[in-house]
Amino acid sequence: MDIDRYERLWIMLSAAVLLSLFLALVYSVYALDIRLVDDAGQVDPATAAQTPPFDEPGVYQEGPGRYRVVMVARAWSFQPAEVRVPAGSDVTFQVTSLDVIHGFRVPYTTINQMLIPGQVSEFRFRFAEPGEHYLFCHEYCGVGHHTMQGRIVVETAATGAR
Amino acid sequence: MATTTLERSFWQALPKPRARTGFWSWVTTVDHKRIGILYFWTALAFFLIGGVEALLIRLQLARPEQDLVAPDLFNQLFTMHATTMIFLAIMPLTAAFFNYFIPLLVGARDVAFPKLNALSYWMFLAGGIFLNSSWVLGGPSDAGWFGYPNYSLSEFNPGLGVDFWIIGLLLAGIGTLVSGFNFIVTILNMRAPGMSLMRMPMFAWATLVTSFLIVFSFPVITVALLLLLFDRVFGTVFFDVFSGADLTLYHHLFWVFGHPEVYIIVLPAMGIVSEVLPVFSRKPLFGYSVMVFSTMLIGFVGFGVWSHHLFTVGMGPVVNTIFSLATMIIAVPTGIKMFNWIGTLFGGRLRFTAAMLYSLGFLALFLIGGLTGVMLSAAPSNTQIHHTYFVVGHFHYVMIGGALFSLMSALHYWGPKMFGRMLDERLGKVAFWTLFVGFNLTFFPMNILGVMGMPRRIYTYSAGMGWDGLNATSTLGALIMAVSILITLYNLVTSLRNGERAPADPWDGRTLEWAIPSPAPEYNFARLPNVSSRDELWVRKHPQLAEGAAVAASAESDGPAEPIAMPGGSYMPLLVSLGLFIAGYGLLYSMPVFVGGIVLSLLGLIGWGFEGDNMRIIQPGGEQ
Repeated sequence: MDIDRYERLWIMLSAAVLLSLFLALVYSVYALDIRLVDDAGQVDPATAAQTPPFDEPGVYQEGPGRYRVVMVARAWSFQPAEVRVPAGSDVTFQVTSLDVIHGFRVPYTTINQMLIPGQVSEFRFRFAEPGEHYLFCHEYCGVGHHTMQGRIVVETAATGAR
Repeated sequence: MATTTLERSFWQALPKPRARTGFWSWVTTVDHKRIGILYFWTALAFFLIGGVEALLIRLQLARPEQDLVAPDLFNQLFTMHATTMIFLAIMPLTAAFFNYFIPLLVGARDVAFPKLNALSYWMFLAGGIFLNSSWVLGGPSDAGWFGYPNYSLSEFNPGLGVDFWIIGLLLAGIGTLVSGFNFIVTILNMRAPGMSLMRMPMFAWATLVTSFLIVFSFPVITVALLLLLFDRVFGTVFFDVFSGADLTLYHHLFWVFGHPEVYIIVLPAMGIVSEVLPVFSRKPLFGYSVMVFSTMLIGFVGFGVWSHHLFTVGMGPVVNTIFSLATMIIAVPTGIKMFNWIGTLFGGRLRFTAAMLYSLGFLALFLIGGLTGVMLSAAPSNTQIHHTYFVVGHFHYVMIGGALFSLMSALHYWGPKMFGRMLDERLGKVAFWTLFVGFNLTFFPMNILGVMGMPRRIYTYSAGMGWDGLNATSTLGALIMAVSILITLYNLVTSLRNGERAPADPWDGRTLEWAIPSPAPEYNFARLPNVSSRDELWVRKHPQLAEGAAVAASAESDGPAEPIAMPGGSYMPLLVSLGLFIAGYGLLYSMPVFVGGIVLSLLGLIGWGFEGDNMRIIQPGGEQ
């Protein structure tokens, strides 16, 4: 088929744009380690508050520079509402909702997750710099939705938990 | 008229409307043009309601920590704003133009099923009134336009608000679905001689593809809403997580409908722009056949992208990647269209009328909407901005920058044909620039706010977040948009009263609707046109400019001028929808009323089936 030179150029350019978008996707997942969250198990929301690990929400150290945050969300609070970890630590969050669908969003990070009752959400993030992050519920959950917030405090490594 | 004497004697006793003017002629009309005009004014009224809701939302968010409206009212406002704008304003406004112009564009005297068309309108009106009546009957739903369970179940959301929302949408949904079938049949079967599919104007193609999208996607939302209604009214446990239900079922059902819905709104918008740009560039549409195929491709792939609304649910990298790619692929046919529109403008003799300005505005703003859509489609970048104001900014660029701007363009372009009066060009241009500035002031800051982390659907926010200035700007923009809408309303009202009488072909148009007087007579075409070109009217006006085979076009080959049989009015469509409307309230308040409503509706259907067609024979006047 005879295709005009300019048209062929445009077709190739569009294909190149699509291809580069796809490569950017692969690159960001595997090289930049932006994790796309996977299914991390089920938990009965009626008994989740009594089921380990969600019976004791909190921050647990799992090794040098590695922490696990077990958190439950309910209308309209996170428990624990404040998380303190030292800078440079790898934090794995394990979260579920006890009532309706909530959200878990920490601006300026890659943390953005829906919390669906009955489903465990697990995701991790490396807090490199000391500072304070807000944690928002971003899935509309009723009258108190805008008050459903938490804080993540990243402390300088010296004053940290160790 | 081959009815037996027995049938005649019984069914002809049914009352049949005879009025040709006044209230009853409008209530019982089956004329596609009158139904289009009814759609237009009703949708405009709902648009104003939705607009006031939007203004209240913006005023509440203008400054941090305000309490201008109560939190629960705020939640009801954003729920009703979205529901009203999507289902009761933008979609019916496109339906107004479908109704008035599809038969004219394809050279038909009416739609395939005129009474069904009336039913579509009355179901839409019933649904709209039902939904909005919840404002005075205990308050509307506050569960968002998506109504995700389990927040929307009785356990967390007692009261009738969500029930009103479900039943209102079901009622309006019947109208939409029926309309979808009606326009598929009309476009496939009612075209004038010679109007092959590939000679149809782009707006007819857009309507055809949109109608298929409606037919395939509305049943899905109907199922989702019915399951939700059963959970709320009859105590089933489809979405009860405490009984082991999986809530993501509703997410998928909702978005299998919800994403094609975006194209149901945007494809007609693209169709309108594809009509307006050639006329005001004095050039045929560039790349017509590619435009047709990209419309189909958007419609087809549009069904395979719904999970991009659920990237943060936890579906896993494989699923997310597939839906990312499918979504990016949509950008290809959309990009093709964009370049073809630019190709249409290129080298043309441009006339910057109000209609043209709105269409050009569409090109600029829809481009931003599309590009922010591509940003959202990449799953990793999606996790930076999902459920933030970035998404709000994005889809308003699609819904307003895309749909509303094209509808405004259609109003200025086709308004003279619909109403028989020219709209004021100067006011139209002032309104365009006001809307353009106001719109960008309102919604561009939202993209930035989203990247800064402002979550959606929050009642208020703290002062220290750095969001104050942008939110104040956004509210200012919303007020400017309101001014623009008021200017357009003023233009509409004064022009329809005192405006210059519209000639048959005010814009030097290219398609068949401009071949007949303004407003179009009841029978549309005194002689059915014999079509030989995509730009039929243009070729007839300028035979020396026509290319190749198109030269044969002439009025001599049109159908014979003979008396025309047109369907008269009927009470039955109104009766059927009135019955369902009453049944809706019955379901919430009293079973006997519910049964009564259903019986009324069934009686209407039986009458519909047997009353006959009430044909009227018209002798066309001296036109043509």
